[in-house]
Amino acid sequence: MGKAFIIDVAKCSGCRNCQIACKDEHVDNDWSPWAKPQPDTGQFWTRVDEQVRGQVPKVRISYTVHMCQHCENAPCMAAAPEAVYRRDDGLVIVDPEKAADKRELVEACPYGAIFWNEELAIPQKCTGCAHLVDAGEVPHCVDVCPHGALRFGEEEEFAEEIAVAEALLPERAATDKPHVYYLNLPKRFLAGMVVDLEADEVIIGAKVTAENLDSGEVLASETDEFGDFWFHQVAAANWRVYVEAEGYLTRMLEASTVDEDRNMGPIELFAAE
Amino acid sequence: MGNNVKGTPIVKGLGFNSFGIGTNACTVDIDEENDKILRIRPFHFDEHYTPEDLNAWKIEARGKTFEPGFKTLISPLSLCYKKRVYSKNRIPYPLKRVDWDPKGERNPQNRGTSSYVRISWDEAAQLVADEIKRVHEQYGPESVLCEYDGHGETKIVHASHGCMVKMLELCGGFTSQARNPDSWEGWYWGAKHVWGMDPLGQQSLQNNIIKDISENGDAVLFWGCDVETTPLGWGGYMASRLCYWFTDLGVKQIHISPDVNYTNAVHADKWIPVLPNTDAALQLAIAYTWIKEGTYDQAYLDTHSVGFDNFKYYVMGGEDGVPKTPKWAEKICGVPSYTIKALARYWATHAVSIGHCNGGSYIRSTFSHEPARLEVALLGMQAVGKPGANQFKFIEWTLFGMPTVTPLPPSTKIPNLGAAYRGWVHGSQPSFIPKTMIPEAIMNPPVQWYGHVSAGLPREDQFTGPFQFPLEGKERIHMVWSDTPCWETCWNGGFHMQDALRHESIECVVVQHPWMENECLLADIILPSNTKFETEDIGTDSDSGQWNVVFYERQAIQPIGESKSDKEVVAEVAKKLEQFGGPYEDLLNRYLGGKTDEEWIEFGFETCGVPDDLTFEEFKEKQYYPFPTREDWKELPVGLSQFYEDPEGHPLKTPSGKLEYYSTTLAQNFPDDEERGPIPRWVATSPSHQERQATERGRNFPFLLVSNHPHFRVHAQHDDVTWFREMEECKVTGPDGYKYEPLWIHPIDAGKLGLKTGDVAKIYNERGAVLGGVRVTERIMPGAVYQDHGSRCDTIKLGEHGLDRGGANNLIAPTATTSKNTVGEVTSGFLVNVEKVDVFQLAEEYPEAFNRAYEPACGLVATARIVEGA
Repeated sequence: MGKAFIIDVAKCSGCRNCQIACKDEHVDNDWSPWAKPQPDTGQFWTRVDEQVRGQVPKVRISYTVHMCQHCENAPCMAAAPEAVYRRDDGLVIVDPEKAADKRELVEACPYGAIFWNEELAIPQKCTGCAHLVDAGEVPHCVDVCPHGALRFGEEEEFAEEIAVAEALLPERAATDKPHVYYLNLPKRFLAGMVVDLEADEVIIGAKVTAENLDSGEVLASETDEFGDFWFHQVAAANWRVYVEAEGYLTRMLEASTVDEDRNMGPIELFAAE
Repeated sequence: MGNNVKGTPIVKGLGFNSFGIGTNACTVDIDEENDKILRIRPFHFDEHYTPEDLNAWKIEARGKTFEPGFKTLISPLSLCYKKRVYSKNRIPYPLKRVDWDPKGERNPQNRGTSSYVRISWDEAAQLVADEIKRVHEQYGPESVLCEYDGHGETKIVHASHGCMVKMLELCGGFTSQARNPDSWEGWYWGAKHVWGMDPLGQQSLQNNIIKDISENGDAVLFWGCDVETTPLGWGGYMASRLCYWFTDLGVKQIHISPDVNYTNAVHADKWIPVLPNTDAALQLAIAYTWIKEGTYDQAYLDTHSVGFDNFKYYVMGGEDGVPKTPKWAEKICGVPSYTIKALARYWATHAVSIGHCNGGSYIRSTFSHEPARLEVALLGMQAVGKPGANQFKFIEWTLFGMPTVTPLPPSTKIPNLGAAYRGWVHGSQPSFIPKTMIPEAIMNPPVQWYGHVSAGLPREDQFTGPFQFPLEGKERIHMVWSDTPCWETCWNGGFHMQDALRHESIECVVVQHPWMENECLLADIILPSNTKFETEDIGTDSDSGQWNVVFYERQAIQPIGESKSDKEVVAEVAKKLEQFGGPYEDLLNRYLGGKTDEEWIEFGFETCGVPDDLTFEEFKEKQYYPFPTREDWKELPVGLSQFYEDPEGHPLKTPSGKLEYYSTTLAQNFPDDEERGPIPRWVATSPSHQERQATERGRNFPFLLVSNHPHFRVHAQHDDVTWFREMEECKVTGPDGYKYEPLWIHPIDAGKLGLKTGDVAKIYNERGAVLGGVRVTERIMPGAVYQDHGSRCDTIKLGEHGLDRGGANNLIAPTATTSKNTVGEVTSGFLVNVEKVDVFQLAEEYPEAFNRAYEPACGLVATARIVEGA
């Protein structure tokens, strides 16, 4: 057990307060023994990744915060047990003295969370603002999040969230046991609009059925007042989409969300005789 | 470990408003021993006061609760501020242009290309004083143009703007660059004529609208509104929290704009892309649909409006033979007619409010008064003021000290530090020039216009005039003194301004500023002012949406380099002017107002509205005083509900007291105005503006440029922040390593032009060109391109037909104002073409510009223009 971060992507507006707060806290400030100063640019102990999804006019952005995952079985710790350690509260620290010249630590982290400081010749990363935590505060990035998208505390307090959480790299989760837990990591969306071009009208209440051709899963939705339909947080897959509306011929189309989110655009229905 | 982890907490308002309007309260932890800023973090209202003291409010609706929280919701623009304070672009000491000799050759044509030498404060102040005296005697005080408006750090005693006019008004006067209603152009020049709503033209009765939408609203329209960017410099993230709240409640958020702005990207339920500045066509087609289908509120219009029949006649095609059908609109605005009809029907059957943050093509393009007026016309057709149907703003919640403009529960008072404010105090000068007409006024006087052109004046003022510069019998401009040197990158046609500042009639240009940017490089004398971290002051924050607060701002660090506060800079000049006696006698004391800084701070405290029993000592010790929520907040009438219920008893500030679909005062005062007639219309082009794709110009310049409030700047401020510039969303690194201002282009258009992400492109029209770093993205609709405004000028070729590397697209904005009788800016929604450039070839062509000292991390740095030896 110990400390944990909860990152809820659905609550992240992409403001970058966390990323800038990390710089504010660590650039030009020496928080030894936990961390030496971070260089002014080039390192991102906390970073917000922007992902533009979909096609005009169905476009969304997802922002995902990346940081040290404070793993229980941290690969960096395994790579340099003499230089990396886990505090009693679970925060993983790269000792700035003992890790000197250990450039290999940058490669050891599968999350890309360790950076090389040319000037000091040390590997560096997020400390969970251990110096602030020891002073009874929360990490600076957590303090400045306006939406509670980034939270920090005792793992027990977050039992509910952790129960439904995902890992940033699911395939590594069992091995590394990261203590940064993600909610609502972006999947794919499949969306479109249903129209009767001859009547020059959107079709409201059309039944849209999406069949996942890879898994066989079937999803159903209806078009709204704008003729739009959305399937959110679906799998990256090939889909067969059926569109039905009273008085119209049913249409079947294929669409793929394998590589990216998909706006199927206006789907024209034809009036039945 | 011995580290001073927590430091000493002090309070600073890190807002970037005009004048003394404070916002963005932050706690700043300083390391006193090492004269250093440790960190910036949210300010806590509850550090010394309890939730009961604050009378903490909450909104409950649909089984959910919204609470404001007890710490301020600050943004990266405040959080990053150490980088502004310690920027490599800070001006280190006073500077003089190498080839400007007040006793010999002044070389005005070399402004913008010459270097600078270090001079002492003594010499700098003497030079400025000598020039003022000379210009006063030779031409008269009105030949000194003072630029002292716009944005900057919000300071009170050490005001960023207008210290120089505080002094000059004591020794003869000056000519004022009028503070245009720039944030509100279309509302100010247009909407006021439909519904009054002084001072700005947006709905100024906004109390309890958030509560009303929470309880009764179905949807909010975001018409070009970007909650995630526009409020950051003057309010923070309460507005963003409200969008999440609306989502929680199921209040639909519909975005209508050419771009996927940062709010649309995360909060929207529906995006309707519309070509830049064609909203008027879309609006007319909505009106048409409602009229045709009988789905507007005729009974309401019968009692609440005048002239609707005239409007209806126009919409249905009676006037020009063109019914404003959805099919008609589709060709102009790019929204499919079936979507226009769907939007019209949704709106007619739901409680819909419209939210705004100012800005964007919607309100700052050609004829922007038309979409603004049409929006009010549509609101009226659906009975504005009924439950869930108002217009409201996500920003400026106490503007002009008005208690009615906050849609959230208001505090008991809006603290006012005006008595201690040592910068410019609002008021019109006898000799003034609209900001949008400065280049013309300098180069081609006389110029004429209507209205005093100052944000905050009533509707009728637009009919005063014509005014003229120069005043009868007075001389033209010969000297410019600016503390707001960003005209080029924020206004209409910056290349024209470069020509003006290099004009032979301009004998001296003085700029005072902390950073070496934009018009600093066109100055003859540069005076380094400093940031608020380097001074002691007092401040307020009344725009958090939480509680209004007044705070004591301790000095955080010693001044950087030889910088002085803006107030002290002007004091240096005042001292030197005193030696001339006469009108300048005792000038320093008169300028300082008979009080020390400390006394002004205390005076501000005493007069700002704090309770009588709060002592200055207790205030300084606690460092703040918060004003609790009004006890009666729930009883305040919702928005326009009183007008809705009783239009006779609660009239609007229009001549008729009602919504005026036909403005009799516009008809009387400007009977021949084709651009802003009595009825709001679709205006395609006019003699002064041909900014439509379906024109001859549109063939040569086929894209419409959208330019909003920037995400990583406050207008021209913050462009040197290394922590932003390293993000690829903030700057695009070109093949030459230079950080170019991003240009968004849709994949279809990029394909046609052979552009890919990371390329450098030229955005141009016949006024000139600016460069941009290409980002091919679905965030912009085809046919439009997007670039933030306010990027620092890095001009390769100065003046008309110029070329700028920094991507300051205002340089190529139209020079003509909004329309014939309105002097608003046109800075978005204008025609450009886009073309890939080879930066290495350009570097060969312009070696001087491309070899300037430049650090990608920070951009241009102050020392780039400084040469050794004085």
